[in-house]
Amino acid sequence: MVGSGVTKVDRHYDKNYLTLIDEAVSKALADSGLDASDVEYLVVSTAFSETILDQADPSTYIAQNLGLKNVKTLTISSGEVSGAVALDYAYSLVKAGRAHRILVVGFEKMSEYPSWVINKVYAKILEYEVEGIKNVTPPDYAALIMSEYMRKYRVSREDIVRWSVKMHENAVRTPHAQLQFTISVDSLGRALRISEPVTMLDSHPVSDGAAALLVADESATKKTNREPVEVVDVESSVNLPIYLRDDITYFSATASAYKKLSSKNEIKLSKTTALNVYDTYDIYGLLTIEALEICGRGEALKCLSEMPYLNVGGGLKARGHPVGATPIYQIHELRELMSGASWVRYDGDISLAHSMSGPDNNAWLILLRRWV
Amino acid sequence: MKYSGFKSGIIGWGAYIPVYRIKAKDIARLWGFDERITDSLWIEEKAVAGVDEDTVTMGWYAARSALVRAGVDPRDVGAVFVGTESKPYAVKPSSTIIADALGISTRKLSTDLEFACRAGSEGVRIAVSLVESGTVRYGLAIGSDTAQANPGDVLELTASSGAAAYLVGPADESVAVFEALVTYVTDTPDFWRREGSRYPAHGEGFTGEPAYFHHIVTAVTMLMSESGLKPSDFDYAVFHQPNGKFPLQVGRMLGFPKEKVLPGIVTPWIGNTYNASALLGLAKILENSKPGQRILVAPFGSGAGADAVSVLVTDKVLDRVGRAPTVEELLSRKKYISYAEYAKFRSLIHRNLG
Repeated sequence: MVGSGVTKVDRHYDKNYLTLIDEAVSKALADSGLDASDVEYLVVSTAFSETILDQADPSTYIAQNLGLKNVKTLTISSGEVSGAVALDYAYSLVKAGRAHRILVVGFEKMSEYPSWVINKVYAKILEYEVEGIKNVTPPDYAALIMSEYMRKYRVSREDIVRWSVKMHENAVRTPHAQLQFTISVDSLGRALRISEPVTMLDSHPVSDGAAALLVADESATKKTNREPVEVVDVESSVNLPIYLRDDITYFSATASAYKKLSSKNEIKLSKTTALNVYDTYDIYGLLTIEALEICGRGEALKCLSEMPYLNVGGGLKARGHPVGATPIYQIHELRELMSGASWVRYDGDISLAHSMSGPDNNAWLILLRRWV
Repeated sequence: MKYSGFKSGIIGWGAYIPVYRIKAKDIARLWGFDERITDSLWIEEKAVAGVDEDTVTMGWYAARSALVRAGVDPRDVGAVFVGTESKPYAVKPSSTIIADALGISTRKLSTDLEFACRAGSEGVRIAVSLVESGTVRYGLAIGSDTAQANPGDVLELTASSGAAAYLVGPADESVAVFEALVTYVTDTPDFWRREGSRYPAHGEGFTGEPAYFHHIVTAVTMLMSESGLKPSDFDYAVFHQPNGKFPLQVGRMLGFPKEKVLPGIVTPWIGNTYNASALLGLAKILENSKPGQRILVAPFGSGAGADAVSVLVTDKVLDRVGRAPTVEELLSRKKYISYAEYAKFRSLIHRNLG
């Protein structure tokens, strides 16, 4: 990965998706030292462009807008993990020698409609014929899982929101984060409930954003302005439907993807490994670090203060969740961290990005390593 | 203090708030909102027009108080404007009904104005221009609304009924003179109601940052830079108040301390009276002001636009306050009703008649 760039995550009422992408791609190209004419393949990731923007396959129009002519283009739409799938595709193309320099663009424009429309669109990440027609929405599952976790491990509601407090602290130091303010456990009493006991303080906001990565083979690594980051491996697993799981407080797709990744690459994550995980709701962030075997079951809250490189960009909670772009933002933040451009210094050799659809319905892990 | 440099001012003002109130938490509970939403917006209760009240009756009451306070013969009023988004007639002016009922001259300009919540304040600006150009001696501007909200929409917590009226005339007769006026208007679709639609639609967060905050901040900043005035020069600042939170927030953004903004806030106890919103806040401040004090008034209307007006209070204010019901008197005069009564009063229940 030889370049990356992002726009501020926000409600961009005055910019359309092409404008946002233009900004992110310009930054990524400048970072990489490559020109637009070097790009052979454009891989676009978006979860909801057909419903929110009435635009099927935006990749062609993005290429036109960027002035890319001699490129192959495609759009990947795979729910909340679209960005991870897009990166996997780009990585596979390079590995297979089918392309040398690939531009991966993730974007989402979620503030185009009132929340009742957007909530309906976002709920499509669950299974329409099961949850959709029964009006079970993503935060409802977070509420069930949070309640169960609190009961099982005797954890208080105030304890869980400590995840969000940490995410907001990180977002304040991240220029592209959406919610750049701190919150406190005391704010919980005033927070509006989304689905009891889940409140606004536990949830990601509605976000617009675009992010771009340049994935290339070794030939491009000499031109880059900063040290490249190696994409080592990508792994994924699928969980059972939530209503068939024995234990809803265990993210087994994340766990089995991690088992495959760690045994194949002989790595083990620790509390001081740079991680960028999906905390669509704070409880999901906690379950994810348990599934990644960093903390024991029911002990995530005890580890929290010992994890200095966890979601340094503020996570979905506070950086925001421009769905199709979110995994690309994660990779960008890890690259910033590994190349010394982040607000915190990181000396570790590896880092990991985790994304998932809904409550671990599927999970994707991307392993990155410092360039050697 | 001399006010000879100014050409026009407020001669009289009047307010009207219906007696009925519904608790915002009752509405929140009925529709399954988290009741804390009323605290986060800062809305306690809202005024509800009765079955026999509308924009015309409420506007008439406020205008009569303005004329009584001014001590002006209605036949000397040469212009009547009604700013509203809830006209009883789609076609037929409300202003003519009110003017005739008040005995205002038939040799006059008269029209209804529509610009969401700031048509009433545009009426004030037009009246100022007519007075200053010598076209009329007195001009009457009324803001009156029985605001509609889709049942169950978050807007229903605040959309309410009320009216305010201002008689504009020569500066030397004024209780407050117009020192500086500026208006900032753009095409911003933050809130609208299409033809044939019973209730307005809105863009949620879009009604905030790019609409309310952007327009008020820009208009007030224009006023400050054109007049050389600073927040510290003002004793009070009144903003459009769709809820209790926004005016405090925009005041903070502009550098006004809370103490200068709070006295003009009425929405938490009567709801958003739309075209009367900021104008009722101004009336409340005038009724408690001292000669020589300076007030900033910044109404906002979706669509979108904001005015920023600086007025200087004169010594004539003191003996005119007691001539008609004050905002505080109208605020304390209240009778609580249930959601069912509210639904009946606001024609939310559809039944066959006859």
